[in-house]
Amino acid sequence: MNLPLINRRSGNGKATSASPAAGGLVTLDDHDEQSRKAQWSADKWLIAGALLLGTNAAGIFGLPLFLFGLKKLRDATKAGLSVRPIMVTLIGYLVMVDAGLNLQGWILDLVGNHTLIYRVLYTAWGNVFDAGYFWHYNQLWIGGASAPGEKAWEVALVLVVFPMRIAAAIAFLQMKRWGYQWLIVTCWFGVVIWVGYTMNMTVFADVRYDGVVFPVIGWWIYDIMYITPFLAIPYLHTVNREIFSD
Amino acid sequence: MNERDRQRKRALIAFQIFIYGYLLLQFGLQLHMWATRDW
Amino acid sequence: MSKSTSKTDVLAEVDSQNDDLPLGTTKQYARMHRWLKRGILVCLVGLVIEGSFTLPFLAIYYGYPTLGFRDICSELMKVRYSDDSLECKYPYDFPGPPFGGAPEGAGITTAKDQWGVQPKPEYPRIGFRELVRIHDERIARQNGEKAGAGHP
Repeated sequence: MNLPLINRRSGNGKATSASPAAGGLVTLDDHDEQSRKAQWSADKWLIAGALLLGTNAAGIFGLPLFLFGLKKLRDATKAGLSVRPIMVTLIGYLVMVDAGLNLQGWILDLVGNHTLIYRVLYTAWGNVFDAGYFWHYNQLWIGGASAPGEKAWEVALVLVVFPMRIAAAIAFLQMKRWGYQWLIVTCWFGVVIWVGYTMNMTVFADVRYDGVVFPVIGWWIYDIMYITPFLAIPYLHTVNREIFSD
Repeated sequence: MNERDRQRKRALIAFQIFIYGYLLLQFGLQLHMWATRDW
Repeated sequence: MSKSTSKTDVLAEVDSQNDDLPLGTTKQYARMHRWLKRGILVCLVGLVIEGSFTLPFLAIYYGYPTLGFRDICSELMKVRYSDDSLECKYPYDFPGPPFGGAPEGAGITTAKDQWGVQPKPEYPRIGFRELVRIHDERIARQNGEKAGAGHP
């Protein structure tokens, strides 16, 4: 049973774009078909945009694509079609981009730390924002960032949290109940991460900030954009969970 | 709004206050260290 | 109790649809969801902007394109370990850490740090394109020494 769908269908004045079978009424199949088409037409742009957004360097080209996909979704919603709510779309994709960017950076710090591009750009980033990624870089037996505790955080997040978050986000975007549930779980992981990670930085603040170009403020401005879980949690706990099926 | 929803809203607000308060605390601590240590 | 609550929820759902609320959002949470949406959009745009502009900014800050990547790598190493003789090995031995082999910094002891349970780094702060200046000065100095050595 999917109440909102029936409600939309039964003449609340919004289902104007559907082709009438008889006297303004639309068959469920027609409505479903149109909704599916509209959803996919928006998703094409959203996925393309999100993929580019996840590459960091080409992100600026992904943003217009993504925003265009959002606009298509909004138009479909206004036309009364049964498409994914905008908030679900935003949260699902942003969680994926957030996890993807983190994964990219940290997988490379774990296994690509001796590539030239990484030795240049990542240590440069470290020298500007967070010396944990500059100080004694590539001197640990495992290579990469030498800040105390950093490798442990990287492995835990790369192996457990971010893959789980991406899987949950994908299922969430498919409006699956388990996606909704596991997105809640993985977003609460995010609370644990922020609490622990920032404390680690504060305890070893000398290592992380001494000698960097933009101490403290640089890192916080850069990384505050990753607080997606904190914004997702209130939504996930207050949205009507019946809209997620399966 | 029923009681459950009211409690839920209150709990979520408390959570937001806690987490942003904690982040502000860390930020403030680090700013203080920047001001007092020779970075 | 649950049955009557669900009926109220259903009616609230119908009401919320008529009020032009998004699917899943009921009236009491509409304002919260609206602000959350704005916050999420800000985070998204912020992530994108910093993602696209950080790497080019870093490259330019540290001397690209005047200095190539290998030079920048070596200059950063010299600053990191306070030792002008260090060079970046490129390409690094396969497979390299963490799969095997020694990390690049293995055995280097020249880094200026105050060691202890709370280490304190003491390398100098690098200014905008200062690596280019440091690099050129050192080359000039080395050439000067070579020229001096050539003329006894």
